Amino acid sequence: MPPSTDLLQGTLDLLILQTLAPGPMHGWAVAQRIQQVSRHVLQIGQGSLYPALHRLEYKGWIRSGWGASENNRRARFYSLTRAGKRRLETELETWDRLSSAIALVLGREVQA
Amino acid sequence: MIGEFLTRLRFLVWRRKPGELDEELEFHIAQSLDRNIAAGMPPDEARRRAAVEFGSMGRAREQCHEQRPGWWLGTVAQDARYALRGFRRNPLFTFTLLATLTLGIGATTAVFSVVDRILFRPLPYAHADRIVSIGMVHSLERQEFLMEPFYFDWLDNQRPFEAIAAQGTMPHTCDLVEMNPAQLNCLSFQAGLLPLLGISPALGRNFLPEEDRPNGPRVVLISYGLWLDHFNRDPDILGRSIDIDGSPARVVGVLPKDFQFPTLQSADVIFPMALDRAEEHIANGGFGYPMRCFARLKPGVSIAQARAGMEPLYQAEERWFPAELRDQIHLRIRSLRDRETADVQSIAWILLGSVFAVLLIAGANFAGLMMARGVARKREFAVRSALGATRARLARQALTESLLLSIAGAAGGLALAQGLLAVFISIAPTGVPFLLKAHPDLRIAAFAVLLSLACGACFGLLSAWQETHAGAVSVKLATSRHRALLRRGLVVGQIAASMILLSAAALLVRSFRNVEEQNLGIRTGGVIAAKIALPAFRYNTGQKQMDFYLRLESALQRLPGIQAVTTSDSVPPGGTLGFRFSDIAAEGKPPAPPGTGGAVASRKVTPDYFRALNIPILRGRGFSGQDLSSSQAMVVLSRLLAARLFPGEDAVGKRIESVHDKTWSTVIGVAENVKNGGLMDETLPEMYTLRRNLPDDWTGHAPTVMIDSVLSETAVAPWVRSRIAAIDPTVPVAIESLSRTVSTMADRPRFETALLSFFALCGLAMAIVGLYGIVSFLATQRTQEIGVRMALGARRSDILGLIALDGVRLVAVGGGLGLLLALALTGWLKSLLYEIGPRDPVSLVAVALFLAFVALAATLVPARAAMNIDPVAALRHE
Repeated sequence: MPPSTDLLQGTLDLLILQTLAPGPMHGWAVAQRIQQVSRHVLQIGQGSLYPALHRLEYKGWIRSGWGASENNRRARFYSLTRAGKRRLETELETWDRLSSAIALVLGREVQA
Repeated sequence: MIGEFLTRLRFLVWRRKPGELDEELEFHIAQSLDRNIAAGMPPDEARRRAAVEFGSMGRAREQCHEQRPGWWLGTVAQDARYALRGFRRNPLFTFTLLATLTLGIGATTAVFSVVDRILFRPLPYAHADRIVSIGMVHSLERQEFLMEPFYFDWLDNQRPFEAIAAQGTMPHTCDLVEMNPAQLNCLSFQAGLLPLLGISPALGRNFLPEEDRPNGPRVVLISYGLWLDHFNRDPDILGRSIDIDGSPARVVGVLPKDFQFPTLQSADVIFPMALDRAEEHIANGGFGYPMRCFARLKPGVSIAQARAGMEPLYQAEERWFPAELRDQIHLRIRSLRDRETADVQSIAWILLGSVFAVLLIAGANFAGLMMARGVARKREFAVRSALGATRARLARQALTESLLLSIAGAAGGLALAQGLLAVFISIAPTGVPFLLKAHPDLRIAAFAVLLSLACGACFGLLSAWQETHAGAVSVKLATSRHRALLRRGLVVGQIAASMILLSAAALLVRSFRNVEEQNLGIRTGGVIAAKIALPAFRYNTGQKQMDFYLRLESALQRLPGIQAVTTSDSVPPGGTLGFRFSDIAAEGKPPAPPGTGGAVASRKVTPDYFRALNIPILRGRGFSGQDLSSSQAMVVLSRLLAARLFPGEDAVGKRIESVHDKTWSTVIGVAENVKNGGLMDETLPEMYTLRRNLPDDWTGHAPTVMIDSVLSETAVAPWVRSRIAAIDPTVPVAIESLSRTVSTMADRPRFETALLSFFALCGLAMAIVGLYGIVSFLATQRTQEIGVRMALGARRSDILGLIALDGVRLVAVGGGLGLLLALALTGWLKSLLYEIGPRDPVSLVAVALFLAFVALAATLVPARAAMNIDPVAALRHE
């Protein structure tokens, strides 16, 4: 198993919001999607995943409801709320600004 | 934004069903399992891997719970329940904690409620922080005054103030003449004074500008008290005409109930001042009459700036003063608070300081007790921390316990404060106006609660930090040394604070004994003084006053058991009117340079004065009945004054001259010195003049009648009253025994001494409890060591020494530290002390010995217990 990369504070929230942007998804799928998309660099353990999902829900950025999974199990599905979509946009902007700033400091080319 | 807030609010109430989270997590594991099986693992291995990957289910559940907004509220309730259960299990401990806290908070709150009005609470005026008292001060008049012509000058030319207003210097007695006559206090102020203070009358209106002019209409404001007591809150009082001193005055308003004159005087009827600009330069030799002036600073102007601004005006006026007076008169501008409270500020700070010392001692005890409890609960904390409680969580638990205690302490403290305040007021001197107004109100309650919470948080955190500092592993003795270091520090602090308090108390007690036991130079037993308030408007000539007093004197002399009857314009050892030493000169000797030599007390008496008060005549003779009709001016000097005027000579028969009016008097005798500047001030040289049977000698200030009798005050007083009533039934009379007068004068030092001694003893008691606690704690910690030592041959006395040494070291360090601090701090007491230095070595040594003795006793009790331990049991001690 590759060593897990420590996530920047608050980045997990951004990743979850982004992952949920296309449509509702249950917790397992969110973790799997992030792992796949990041080519197995980012592994989200349940220890951080579920608290993060709950936190986001308490903040009103995502909502949850019961549904059937692809293999017909009862699963809890999460989807973005309107506030969550707005939040995602601002988070993305912040991320862009932050990452290019860090790149500048580290002397790396900013990838367009 | 609002939506977000509403969502949060919703989750505060709304809770997920408990099973839902489990179901969600189990789904996760099931998915994991599916994937593992799909990857070709055998089912057992697949299940194991899925479980390992997931980790602790309980932890996950807890972490999800913690995301819920306000989840910690639940833990607070849980902590509180747990704490209460713990307190109930150990009632003695809880009681000790609460008693300590209640005493600390109660004493501090009671003192705070008194000093708050003196030091901190805004005065009851609008913009009180900008109101100042302005004027000049003189070596004999230490409160600011201003002469009228200067007032107009300042009014026209000043820049620092946005308003200035004046009031009369002294209330004078005046008579309300009607069906139900009363003697009142009358005062005058300018129409501008109330607006300056931001006060509007409770009823009616302030004076109009046209009423505050010479020859304006005769109108008055009356006090709320007069309106209440005399007019029964009659709403029709406005516009009514009342008869003051025989001429009618129209009431235009009633002052507010809690109105406080900026001079703290009390007056029932207020006239407009009606200053006359034209008249001022003529009256009183061009100086006009003195008055008290108050002003409101412009916003942003400091007192120093105002002073700098007024200095040129003052310099310009200084040339009007006689040259010899110039050095003694100064410009002064000070805040109204200083004007009102200057003489009680130092005692207020001292009381506040000492009660805070008591509070710190109490707080240290609180922390010490909590720590001792923490030691007893080491195992519990270790177990909880092993079960996954974080340090923060444990600290929160400890903090909850101390906060619960502080809330209870605040409630108890407030109740105690109320009781203490009642005690303070009952023993307090009458001359402290702020004390009577002190009562616990919302501000005081808030102070008590905040203080208590701060104590709980501070000292609770201290012990919480200690308790949680011990990791789960190092439960055993490893930490107790460290813990004890902090507790030892606290005890050293307690001893030091007690030492300071005890030193201060000892100094005050000794000073008070000096006050009580001093030789006043007069006999107070058996003498009563009757103050008769003759209505000035009826007894308006010297002749009328003289007739009254001479008739009274002869009537009183005929009473049984009366040895002497005399009148004097003032009663020793109280202060008296006086003059400057340079105002008189011995015949044939140059007078002292003007304004030098200090003050000389002066009293106008009738012949029996020396006999009534038993003042020995050292040389020559006292006044006699024949002198009453003499045209010659005669004086009796006190020993001090005779020695200053005629050093090395016999003063009897010599003449002295009054420097100003060039009149001569003959010295007929020298009397022993008498205390004459109050109990605690230096004895002044004194001169007695005779009040002869001449109307001119009886004008002005009405004298006090003093009666020396072999009977008790209670027997004589009714007779005196009836004799006075036989001459004039309407005059008010106040009768008091001289011993009572003297005792009343000692009220203030007695009050200060009692309060400080009380605090010192409280502090000492708590420090001793703290010391006892730490020594027995250390002894318990060393039980095993003691067992080993005994097994190796140590004698019991060695053990006693070993344990006692621990305590003695703390006492020595704390006592030494306290002594140094006391030496540094007792200087503050200087103004309260009488005939004793603030660093009086006898007092300090006595206090140190006393503290050492008590502390040693507190050490020996646990040390003896340690000495008597059974070595076998000690060795097995865990």
